[in-house]
Amino acid sequence: MIWEVFRQENAGEYHTHCGNVHAPDAEMAKLFAQIQHGRRKPTHSLWVVPQPEVHEVDDEDTAFGGTTDKSYRWAVTYDVDASFAQEVADSEREQEEAARSRGDD
Amino acid sequence: MDVEEVKERAGPREFSPADDMPEEYRKAATRMIQFHANSEIMGAYLERPFVRQSPSLERKLAFSAKVQDEIGHGQLLYRAAESLGVKTRDEMLEELANGEGKFLNCFHYPMDSWHETPMIAFFVDGAAMRRQATLKKTSWEPYAHAMDKVCFEEGFHVKHGEHILAELAQGSKKDQEKLQEAFDEWWPRILQFFGPTDDKSTHHDFAADVGLKQMSNDELRNAFLNAYVPKARKYGLEIPEYPRIEENDDGTWKVREDDLDWDEFFTVAKNDYEGSHEQIGKRHDTQEAVEWVRDVLDDHEQRPMGGAGPAAAD
Ligand SMILES: [Fe+2]
Ligand SMILES: [Fe+2]
Repeated sequence: MIWEVFRQENAGEYHTHCGNVHAPDAEMAKLFAQIQHGRRKPTHSLWVVPQPEVHEVDDEDTAFGGTTDKSYRWAVTYDVDASFAQEVADSEREQEEAARSRGDD
Repeated sequence: MDVEEVKERAGPREFSPADDMPEEYRKAATRMIQFHANSEIMGAYLERPFVRQSPSLERKLAFSAKVQDEIGHGQLLYRAAESLGVKTRDEMLEELANGEGKFLNCFHYPMDSWHETPMIAFFVDGAAMRRQATLKKTSWEPYAHAMDKVCFEEGFHVKHGEHILAELAQGSKKDQEKLQEAFDEWWPRILQFFGPTDDKSTHHDFAADVGLKQMSNDELRNAFLNAYVPKARKYGLEIPEYPRIEENDDGTWKVREDDLDWDEFFTVAKNDYEGSHEQIGKRHDTQEAVEWVRDVLDDHEQRPMGGAGPAAAD
């Protein structure tokens, strides 16, 4: 059986997918994941998940975020100043970064 | 882990469901996150009628997107609360519907006119965002992760709220009057958003000691004033004489806490205010009306192949 492996570098961070291992059961999968993925890079925790339990939907199956113009749901659309509050400015910047990596503009 | 060790280790995102947390921590975190989740839901219900009452298509789209976001925040937060193993989501939703669940003071008051919408969408969302930004450093990791997504989205709410405020402030004389009226009514409630002053707050000490809470109510309220009083002035809003707002020597602001009506606040906090019954009642009725949906999903989950079949598109 194949097990997908998710690694978290430090407490509090997100577990992110880093690969997979062959193993007969969860105990062995945890052991192999440690050896494969937990030794060289900083590791606080690993998750192993049986591959058949991972279900996928991708951008061929669906249009993530819809197909119509949704600019009304982005902070940058509204021409009022965001710099008066750090947290509002941060949110706007994060949204702009996300828009860029989605290739929106 | 015992409470002493929790206090020693308490830091941003320090504890997760993999840790064996003492009951006192799990209960305090549940109380805090459940309150937060309930508030997202009740805020969404307060604003929902304005999807229909929006004056333009742009506003309608934005308002419906915002209400949808808030319901999503509620769902994220119920998951974060559930991860403490004290209450299930069903239990928390049931408590909200039957009047046991507590939520933010501002959402106990009816909102009738479009001119009131920036009071929530700008000032209350702004206050909430100020607080939520500090909660990215809470010690319960799933709560902090929920805050990452919530704060990502909230910038839109606050800027959209300010956009409505700006439009009304530059509108007709009548618009400006109605805006000022709404502000006079909502301003004291907004100041109480952050909860009782530190010396009256019952839960602060423990929540701060174990890293759940990062800033005290008073610190948050003052930080909010520093950013939002200048905004209110910019749009020609007159700050009501009471509660008295005082300028510190360094140009920052603070409120005379004794000028606020804490009796009303604590009545609201117990869900005993007039509006409390009305808002909770509406939520209760809606919850009941869609019970069949939850039942269908539960049946489906209990069937042997339930959940493992092909996922339906949404
Ligand atoms: Fe929210
Ligand atoms: Fe919001």
